[in-house]
Amino acid sequence: MSSVSLRGVVKRYGSVTALDTVDLDVASGELVALLGPSGCGKTTLLRTVAGLERHDAGRVAIDDEDLSSVPTRSRPIGMVFQSYALFPNLTVRQNIAFPLEVRGRPAAEVRRRVDEMLDLCHLGIQADRYPNQISGGQAQRCALGRALAASPKVLLLDEPLSALDALVRVRLRDEIRRVQQQVRITTLYVTHDQAEAMAIADRVAVMNHGRIEQLDHPAAIYDDPSTPFSAAFVGSRNAVPVVVRDGEVRIGPARLPAPVGTAGTDRLVAYFRPEEVELSDDPEDLPVRVELVVFLGPVTRLHLDAELDGGPVRFHLDLPSRQAAAHPVGSLRRIRIDPSLVRLFPAATEVHP
Amino acid sequence: MSTAGRRILLGAIVVYLILPLVAVFLYSVATVWQSRILPDGYTLEHYVAVAVDPRVQGAVLRSLALAVLVTLIDIAIVVPAVFWARVRNPRIRPIIEVGAAIPFALPWVVIAFGIDRLVGEWAPSWQTTFPVLVLAQSAIAFPFFYWAVDGAMAATGIARLTEAAETCGARPIQILRRIVLPIIRTGVATGTVLVFAVSFGEFALARILVGSSYDTLPLWQAQALLRTDDQLNELAVTTVLSFLVLFALAAWLVARGRSSGASLAAGAQVGTPTEAPR
Repeated sequence: MSSVSLRGVVKRYGSVTALDTVDLDVASGELVALLGPSGCGKTTLLRTVAGLERHDAGRVAIDDEDLSSVPTRSRPIGMVFQSYALFPNLTVRQNIAFPLEVRGRPAAEVRRRVDEMLDLCHLGIQADRYPNQISGGQAQRCALGRALAASPKVLLLDEPLSALDALVRVRLRDEIRRVQQQVRITTLYVTHDQAEAMAIADRVAVMNHGRIEQLDHPAAIYDDPSTPFSAAFVGSRNAVPVVVRDGEVRIGPARLPAPVGTAGTDRLVAYFRPEEVELSDDPEDLPVRVELVVFLGPVTRLHLDAELDGGPVRFHLDLPSRQAAAHPVGSLRRIRIDPSLVRLFPAATEVHP
Repeated sequence: MSTAGRRILLGAIVVYLILPLVAVFLYSVATVWQSRILPDGYTLEHYVAVAVDPRVQGAVLRSLALAVLVTLIDIAIVVPAVFWARVRNPRIRPIIEVGAAIPFALPWVVIAFGIDRLVGEWAPSWQTTFPVLVLAQSAIAFPFFYWAVDGAMAATGIARLTEAAETCGARPIQILRRIVLPIIRTGVATGTVLVFAVSFGEFALARILVGSSYDTLPLWQAQALLRTDDQLNELAVTTVLSFLVLFALAAWLVARGRSSGASLAAGAQVGTPTEAPR
């Protein structure tokens, strides 16, 4: 049984279709990340589940109960906002108590539950501070405690880490995952950061133009993007324009069979990851010139210029950083690509996220 | 600027603000004050004269009633309206903004004549009555309240907080009472002082709408200035008294704001948008 179930959900703003017949099932206790660029509909989808937006068509259900006519305040949800949205006139403790108090729970239960939440979110010391007296990371942990306090069935997180700086972001990401698994709560997590989505989610829904383009486990999306948008948006990929000739596609000496349904001279884009490009000594392989060397920590990315089908093409190649010193800007090298790792998609749908 | 320079500047500002008040106060307790730097003698007889003068009594009471009623009307109308515009229907904001600009775009004398003619046309029996003055004054003074409250709501991101409260399961009335009002109380207090002060001291509207029938305090003061019989000391007395009324109101609101830690924090929050990354 799925805990959250969306069937053919449509949301329009005037002539703009924000959600285009979206279907999504989230299993009980599962964390699904909604990943996509701004304007792809991921936040609208989340707010539709929360009831903060009314969908124009389709069905939104939690535990098989249709929520279409249920107002936000009566839905079994807890929500965390990008901007924290803590009540500035209430302390951390009072913020967490708020959802319990407005539901009229007895004082003893409120106290016990708030203490549990303070414990779960490691906020004991900050309990009596006001939101403007705590850090962003603490504020977001408090928001998480508030969202979970009334034991909702579904937790909704709207870009919860975007307002935080990089170091806090990674730590709080792992913290959110820990809490989510400890409570075993069904969770929808909106983010535009693919690394964040990959790290935290059981499954990732890649969204574009109000649709879910691909829904799968992080590793599957990373290794086998099913659409050009997934390929371009998830991971950083080489996107090399190629042409079908004689039923095959060539990238230097690498030959790939043309995909079914393509004809001669069709334009395609070949997607493959920088770590899948290899340096080679074989004189048959594609000659390139090192144009830029970018140190990224564990790996160093070489920007390589080559000629392909008479036009200039730029490749990205990732090397372990220790080996990068041997390839300074201006040096001439050869590269090879394993054809089995290349994904081909029609050129017209090439995407620049 | 050096410390000494700063002190001199501050001192000059204090003198500039305080000196007229001190002078008015001294005049209100002076017997004769003509050729010396300080009054020749001191007396409380002007205070007694003001206290027993039925015209002054009536004028003060009417001004107080006017200011209190206008303030209550503006609170009751503006707070829900601004909340609605911020949270539910942003499309009514431009209308409110235009309405709030009118009292500044047109001279109040012109507005007053307009209202007087309108009332004369549609409800002649209401002309020169107190309710018309209250309503007109409420309409004129509401921008002060609007801007104070709207600013407080904008600074605290009230729309987002309302959504958060809804996801917490709160009903609208709970949201208004437990979240919105405590957060904007600084704005409400500011607006209250402004509206009260404006209504208490307003001249043009009162002069044109009801001036021929009875006095408010500013009307009486203006007449006292023009009259040749020696009422200038009493004018000083009423000036001191109206200053004290407004000062007491402001002080009371500040003290009320201090009485609970929660509102202090809320006050500190104004101007620190919750959206801002820390």
